Formats: sequence, C-alpha cells, structure tokens
Amino acid sequence: MTQHQAAGAFPAQSLPDFEAMSDEDFRQTVRRFVEAKYPDIPRFSQHRLRWDEVKPWYGVLSAEGWICPTWPRAFGGMGLGPGKHLILIEEFERFGCARVHDIGPVMLGPLLMKFGTQAQKDFYLPRILSGEDIWAQGYSEPDAGSDLASLRTRAVRDGDAWVIDGQKTWTTLGMDANRIFILARTDPSVKKQAGISFLLVPMDAPGVTVRPIRNLEGHAEFCEVFFDAVRVPLDSLVGGENEGWAIAKALLGHERVFIGAPRLSGNALARLRYLAEARDVFDDPALQDRYTRLKLDVEDLSDLFEAYVDKLRGGETIGPDVAILKIFQSELYQRISDEMMELAGATAGMREPEDGDPRKHAAGTWLAARPTTIFGGSTEVMRNMMARYVLDLPTR
Amino acid sequence: MDGWIENARMIVESAAAIVPEDGGLDRVRALRFASPGYSPEVFAEIGTMGWLQLAVPERDGGAGLGMRECASLLVALGRGLLPEPVVSALLAQRLTAGRADTDILDGRTVMVAAWQDRTDSLDFAGPAGGDILKLHVDGAAGAGAFAVLAEQGVAIVRAGEPGVRVETAALQDGTFEGTLTLSAGNPEWLPVADADLALDEAILSHSAYLLGLSERGIEITLDYLRVRKQFDQPIGSFQALQHRASELKIQLELCRAAIFRTAARLDAGLSADRRAAAVSRVKTRAAGLAMLMAREAVQMHGAIGTTEEADIGLVVAKAISQANRYGSARLHRNRHFDASERSAA
Repeated sequence: MTQHQAAGAFPAQSLPDFEAMSDEDFRQTVRRFVEAKYPDIPRFSQHRLRWDEVKPWYGVLSAEGWICPTWPRAFGGMGLGPGKHLILIEEFERFGCARVHDIGPVMLGPLLMKFGTQAQKDFYLPRILSGEDIWAQGYSEPDAGSDLASLRTRAVRDGDAWVIDGQKTWTTLGMDANRIFILARTDPSVKKQAGISFLLVPMDAPGVTVRPIRNLEGHAEFCEVFFDAVRVPLDSLVGGENEGWAIAKALLGHERVFIGAPRLSGNALARLRYLAEARDVFDDPALQDRYTRLKLDVEDLSDLFEAYVDKLRGGETIGPDVAILKIFQSELYQRISDEMMELAGATAGMREPEDGDPRKHAAGTWLAARPTTIFGGSTEVMRNMMARYVLDLPTR
Repeated sequence: MDGWIENARMIVESAAAIVPEDGGLDRVRALRFASPGYSPEVFAEIGTMGWLQLAVPERDGGAGLGMRECASLLVALGRGLLPEPVVSALLAQRLTAGRADTDILDGRTVMVAAWQDRTDSLDFAGPAGGDILKLHVDGAAGAGAFAVLAEQGVAIVRAGEPGVRVETAALQDGTFEGTLTLSAGNPEWLPVADADLALDEAILSHSAYLLGLSERGIEITLDYLRVRKQFDQPIGSFQALQHRASELKIQLELCRAAIFRTAARLDAGLSADRRAAAVSRVKTRAAGLAMLMAREAVQMHGAIGTTEEADIGLVVAKAISQANRYGSARLHRNRHFDASERSAA
C-alpha cells in the first residue's frame, strides 16, 4: 500500500477499519466527511460533470483513500462490503455529490484484480487510485449494440504489438479519458463470442481519434473513438487471447444490484409531486390516483432492492433474476418522467428549466430517463435473458 | 436471523398435510359449488395443527407468531388454492382472542369473521341502531359460528341462533360467501383491543394467499409455454410471449418483497397510519398481480384456460373471486394515499 501511495498524485491517508463500525457510526462518518471535504463544485447536477469540473472531488477522494470504496484495503481501497457501500452511496447522493469518472474504480480495477497479471495490477491499480489514469470503456460499436458479440474492431498480432483497427461508440466521457479498455476481434474464424480479446489502449497512441457526440440537451457525455492501425504492446492483453468475452461478462459483484437502486425513480417522483404542487393541481383526484400508482411502484421496488441488498450482506450469490431490478427501475423512471411531461403543459418543451428551478424541468427528466433502458443491457435484451436463464423458457 | 425463518419453514412443511406437495387439485375441483364449498373435516384438521391460533397473542392462549410466519403459511395455502376460509377464521380468532368455546378454538366448529358493512369498504362500525348487516362473509355456508365485528366490540354468535340469519351466494371459485343479519336480542359484546390492527393483519394475510395462487398460476403457465407447440416451435420460444412472461416474474417478485418486508415492519411495530399505508400498498400489488396472472394465463393457454377441466382454469377462477376481497386495488390506493399524507403531515 505504501508503494501505491508513493506512486500517486494524491497520497492517501491511512484508513480506519470501516467494516468494524456500526452502520450508524459509518453513516455519520460519511456525512461528516462529505460536509467537510466536498469542494466548491456543483451539487445535484442533472448531467455528468466533465473532468476539469469534477477533478477536485476525485482529488479529495483519492487523497483521503476513498476513491475505490469496494477495493480490498490491501489494494488501496476502503474495503467496504455491500451494506456499507450502499450507505456511502446514499450519503453521497443525499448531499448531491457529483459522480466522478469511475470506470477505473468500478469496472477496470476489479477486472484487473481478477484477471490481470501481477505486472498489470502493479502498474495500473495505483494510477487509478491516484487519478493519474482516467479510463473509458470501449464496448459498443455502430453495428454492435445489443448484439455486442458481433463487434468488428480487429486486433492483429504483428511482431511485438497488437495492431487495432475499428470504431467504438457511446463511450461515456471518452474525451476525458487517457486510457480505454476495448473488446476487439482477434479470431474471426470461430463462433463470434469465442474470438474476442480484452485490450488496454492509451488514448494518446498514434491512430486514436475521438469525436464527442452531443445529446439533445447539448451536453457531450458520449463520444466515438476511432482506431486506425493503433499499435499497443503484447502485454496490453488482459486474460488469455480470445477470452475477452468471458471477462466482459464477468459478474461485477454488487454493482449489478446497485444499478437497479430505486433512487432515480424516487427522486423523479419527488420532482413530479413538486411540479404538481407548483402547478396547483395536486388536489386533482385523477392525478392523485396516477401519482399513487407510481408511488406504490417506487416503494415496492425499494422493498425488492432491500431484499437483494440483504442477500448480498448475507453473502448469498446473486442470480440472473437481479435483472428484475434494472428493468423495473428504468421503466418506472420513464413512466414518472412521462407523467411530468403531461403535467408540465407547454413548459414541458422548454430548453432551460422554468424559473431556473431544476425540479420543474420535465424535459430534462424525460431525456435523462431515456438512456436507462438502453445502456448496461437494453430492457429487451434483459427480458430475453430472463426468459432463458430465470424462467427456463426454450430458445429458438 | 431472529428465528422466524425456521418457524416459517416448519409451518410450510406442515402445510403439505393439507395442501398436497404434488400440487394436485382434485380435492379443490370436487368441492366446487358443492355447498359449503369446502371441507369442515379439513378445517378441523387445520385447527388440530394449531394454525387457527397462529396470530393470537400468547397471553390469549395463541401461538403468538409474527406476520412473516403467517404470510409464509398463507402463500403455501394459496399455492394449493385452499378453499377453507382460513384468513377469515384467523381474523375471527384474533378478534375474539381465546374467548370462544373450545369447539370453536380447536376448529371442530368453523368460526369466520363477519365484519364488512359495505361492498369495497373497510368500514365495520355498523349502523347506529336496528339490525346489524354484514356482507361478504367468507365460508358462511359451512360456518357454525360468526365473530361479528361492530362498533360495540365483537360478538360470537352461533348459526341457527334466534335472530341470526345467513343468506349464501356462490362465488366464481365454487365457494360460497354469506350475508349475515343479526336482528333480535342483544348479543354479548366483548371488547376488542385493536380491531384495525387485526383487520390490517387479515389484509396482509389475504395478500399472501393471492401471492401463492398467483405464483402457482405463473408456474403452470410457464410449464405450458415450454411444451405447447405451434408453428413447429414451443410457444415459449417466441419473444413476444417471453417478454410478457418476464413481466409476470417481475410483478411476482415485487409482490413477494413487499409482503415479507411489510410483515417484518408490522412485527416490529408501526403507527396506525404507517401500517395502513404499508398494508394497502401490499394489497394493491397482490390484487394487481392476481389479475395480471389471470389475464395472461388465459391468453397464453388459449381457450383451455377458461375451462374447469384444466388446472389453470381453477387458478383463474380463484383469482377473479379473491382479488378484491378485503378491498380492491382502487380502495387500497386511496387508503394508501390518505394514510401516507396523514403520516407525512
């Protein structure tokens, strides 16, 4: 751990044993931490902040040793189990903390711990902890979305290098990243899932081009990444050659539960009510009935979410049925945003929130809710998966 | 864990004596529309197993078990489409709290609850004077006694007593409900400690029964999707049906989580408004689940789903006759809204 600290731009403090704390003590610790340390940057932002905006917060988390909450302490993390991690997330969200660029801490770090070589762990993990490396995920391609395994970006071995040609898209905050991990086809002659490898690529390598994609609100949260004869060393491969699909599919532990957390829907429901009261229509019984239907859905989702968190706490294995949370949460979030649009009347279409009040921003909520049924497995693909792996229905 | 899981496991295992584990519905089918629509002998057996005193506090001679154990039992009974009026009997025992005669306490005489003043209402205070009229009394045809709930308290009256009149009507599931009129005389009114709590427990228990029968209906439907072939394919391989089947599973698990976590909260103790909001939330989901299951089961089975000879037909008939008992989803959405506004105020 000292070696990690030495390598970092933000040297970490030595940490107390958080798992030994009671939940309430830990909650108070997080609350005090956030109140004392959150920098002068936006809170409760509806869109992702760019790296130059969010960097001070990454710096604080890194310097305090809080940037990788779920990593084992031996790797420089906080060593939090699912219960404590949930408390941390809840308190960060209560305060409205901006989401940092977390692909490294959340995705790549755990993957390297499981599949990486010792040299890869020694080199890359400290650089994630310090904020020296900001990672992007290069999975989707223009013709490989839900059918990700049909991806066409090629990597060919040439002497001491992999040579990469192709294109990735919908890369979240890729223009802020200095490194990207990609899935590339290394054997076109076998079944499509069997010929894919997992590679690490520096964004400043010759032949890498980035083009931001603006969304309807004018924010660029995604980008396209082009690879034109990009050469990376052979040791950029994680896991075995042609074993990339298994790595990408590897279970990301409790992240699969947390992606279905009820907070997005819960926050949207609070905005729906706020908007209804601001419009002076909350006493309409028809609206109350529709509001109540949505409220009941949010509360039942919360109960189901808590049931999964209890399973995690008890060390139970989470099965493929966890997809229920993400499907229901994202569709519910959208139904609430639909209701907000209707309620907002003609102000629904305004580019900026009415009176500058983000809680009245129906279009912002509606647009923010759209990607949730698309990324991380579209609702349609997840229902296919449920049919096969949960309901044991026949395949065609 | 605080021991409830082990209790629940033992209760559910013992339920196999009443509800066959192979899921056979022959007994249920044979009892349809044959008054009283259930078996008093099986009811007595249920009494022998101690289930009738499950939710009665220990100080009143009951088992004093919590709502999670109770819900676990009712899910198992719902899976078997049990026709005996257990939820109403549990409510009756809970209201009378050990004060009934022995033949009622042990289940040799069936006692059910007569509480409801109006259709789709939870009012039980009754009229200020004159006859007392109670609607939608479960299992009324075979009941030898009734726990009549009113503003004055609870009265235990026997069927056939002077002034006690019961008219029965068949339900779609082949059981019979009753309308009870209590006219002459003045029954002995016993005080009831917390009738609202007892009624909320019954609503939650009935929701668990609906969860059980819905789970069963979904299983039967999924089995059918795996074997029924059209266009040379099992119909369960069609994506349109797969996506609808996944929705059944989603609603099922939401309902299960809501029931058991609400049961745990009730066991820990809640204010009356929070309890009403929570229980009404559960009943809304359970009624919605049962009706969703019924619609999809019929559509996915095709015409066979509307017949008595198919097991799924019995499940569907049970769902449509039980979904609104103890309050429709509409009633409970309104009650949830009012109660949560009060508790937030």
